[in-house]
Amino acid sequence: MNRRIALRHLALISGGLVLIPSCDFSSDDILAAYENLKVTASQKALLGVISDTIIPAGEIKGALNLEVPDFILVMVNDCFTKENQDKFTAGLAAFPTYSLKIAGKKFDALSVKEKEELILNGTKLEGDETPEGKERANISYFLNSTKRFTIQGYMASEYIQTEIIPYSLIPGEYNGAVLISDLQKPRING
Amino acid sequence: MANLNIRSKQERTYQAIVIGSGISGSWAAKELCDLGVKTLMIERGRNVEHGKDYPTTTMLPYEFEHRGQIPQKIQEENPVISRCYAFREDAMHFFVKDTEHPYVQEKPFDWIRGYQVGGKSLLWARQVQRWSDFDFEGPARDGFAVDWPIRYKDIEKWYSHVEKFAGVSGFKDGIDTLPDGEFLPGYELNVVEKYFAEQLKKQYGGDRHMISARCAHIHGNAEYYAAQGRTLCQNRNLCQRGCPFGGYFSSNSSTIPWALKTGNLTIRPDAVVHSIIYDEEKGKAKGVRIVDRLTKETEEFYADVIFLNAAAINSNLVLLNSTSTRFPNGLGNDSGLLGKYVAFHNYRAGVSAQYEGHSEYTTSGGRPTSGYFPRFRNVYKQETDFLRGYAAGFSANRGARSNSDGIGLELKNNLLNPDQYGLWSVGSHMMGETIPKESNYVALDPSLKDEWGIPQLKISVDYDDNDEKMVKDYIEQMSEMFTKAGFVNIQTRDDHRAPGLDIHEMGGVRMGRDPKTSMLNANHQLHAVPNVYVTDGASMTSTSTQNPSLTYMAFAARAAHHAVAESKK
Repeated sequence: MNRRIALRHLALISGGLVLIPSCDFSSDDILAAYENLKVTASQKALLGVISDTIIPAGEIKGALNLEVPDFILVMVNDCFTKENQDKFTAGLAAFPTYSLKIAGKKFDALSVKEKEELILNGTKLEGDETPEGKERANISYFLNSTKRFTIQGYMASEYIQTEIIPYSLIPGEYNGAVLISDLQKPRING
Repeated sequence: MANLNIRSKQERTYQAIVIGSGISGSWAAKELCDLGVKTLMIERGRNVEHGKDYPTTTMLPYEFEHRGQIPQKIQEENPVISRCYAFREDAMHFFVKDTEHPYVQEKPFDWIRGYQVGGKSLLWARQVQRWSDFDFEGPARDGFAVDWPIRYKDIEKWYSHVEKFAGVSGFKDGIDTLPDGEFLPGYELNVVEKYFAEQLKKQYGGDRHMISARCAHIHGNAEYYAAQGRTLCQNRNLCQRGCPFGGYFSSNSSTIPWALKTGNLTIRPDAVVHSIIYDEEKGKAKGVRIVDRLTKETEEFYADVIFLNAAAINSNLVLLNSTSTRFPNGLGNDSGLLGKYVAFHNYRAGVSAQYEGHSEYTTSGGRPTSGYFPRFRNVYKQETDFLRGYAAGFSANRGARSNSDGIGLELKNNLLNPDQYGLWSVGSHMMGETIPKESNYVALDPSLKDEWGIPQLKISVDYDDNDEKMVKDYIEQMSEMFTKAGFVNIQTRDDHRAPGLDIHEMGGVRMGRDPKTSMLNANHQLHAVPNVYVTDGASMTSTSTQNPSLTYMAFAARAAHHAVAESKK
């Protein structure tokens, strides 16, 4: 954990990148903070665009403002089995080509609506035993994991839990019969 | 030098030694200290001081790097402890990792341990239901194990004694299988739980009850508990982190600081007990040999009376490893029964469902307890093809959720404004009595040793046919009760978990009337070494169905008073 914090600080100093030698991705630098994943800086940036499409900034902050991509990679790096890490990173690696193939453009160049559609449809892809089927399964796995962790990382962030929906360590005495009609909460506009 | 040694031996001599600082050990120590006995408490783990050593207790959800989840690597390296429901990022520092303290599983057994001052009292589920004579008379009536040498009347005042001090909330339900006690105001059931309790009364003619479970939380009379430095439970439901309010009973928040205040208690943490030392000439135990956890150096402490409260299985280990010319097979083990007749609670099955009624209601706030079914099977007479029966937990829940199907701004607004109320969810889990058997045992491994040179424990415990029948009956009966109450989408599970995950392992040093068939007498003394008392789970002759900690507290308090009375004779 300390190592990761140190690497993050180093990344800030060096302008966002920590360089470690790599034989797999000579043109793009692998991020050392997620030592079980071979994730490059550009892939993390792509993850940022995807998570920000899932929960965009508006009247209140979005996923990218809250460093959700970092949370996603920490969870995949630390809490996934090796097999699931492989599926996640394979899906992430295949996603740019998938965007070109389905939407005809790089993901970055799509409109908001096109991005949303591509991701939502991607979460519903079904795989099979063919190479193409396996790729579809990986993309679906990657997008569903990313969506789940985006929601978790966003809702369980300091910003949301202190400024938007304050979390209380002391929830108060139990009331076992609250009429739902009596609950009137001001609507939060995202 | 000689002089130094003599002084050193005097400094290492106390009137009483208590091995273990968990629920039962801390109760023994507290009572002894209150009675003016200079007491040494030996704990194998590190010190954990109330309020000071609860590093996660006020952490907010976003402060946990993995939001509570245990990283994959830790899970893979520690499969046993990773199966424990409370082994999460916020409390993992209070649990023993598999890799740190290995043991031999002849049959799968999930041994859940907490090695620190306070032991598992920091981590327990805080459910405190009294036993009744339907439990104490069980073995004699149904012809298993041996007769308990005590009855409810022997323990009743000690239940009251410990309940009052520990703080127990509950209602006087007037149920003969679950005697009422010294209760602080209870926690009300919610609207659907009350509905279910009423349905049971209607459908089963008053034979089956579902009540608010009695729990060791302070829910009133705050002035009384202020003397212990504790205050009202704040309904945080973060108990496993250690409670800065002392809202629930733990050794750390209650009995240990109380005992320290008497000036009679010395705590020696980081001391792994090797054995109890037997004085062949005097024919009694004279002290305890420990190995320092960190330096690995051996040291001896001496006392007139020794309380063994190392937690059920480790108390067996200590006695098995305490060999002498007089007791080559373990201290007090003339009968050859030491380590045998180990039993546990059967937690394998659960039933869940949904309820369409009371759809206008939800709940708010938090509470530290839920519903409880006292045993209703085979209580007044044998009525099934299996012996004994089961208690069960019960709860109903409903809260607002968000629709997370969409994406973008729509998803964001849904997440920020949870307003989807599904049906009420209801759920139950069984807590079955298991029958102690000679074939369920713990023993020392003949070759494997731990880091401190102490033999590793070998555990051989399994379910039997009686347990299988009981699981089936619980599932049938609970499903029937759910159906009669109008619950829908009923789902049943039998997860075939290994014994041990109930964290209610018991026996091996059982009480009884006859030294030939038991290890301890009615006062928790080893028949053959009466200055050694065992008052934790190891002493259990049978398991009944109730969560056992309250009974260990009462046993420890009662035995401590007995020891002091004996010493004055």
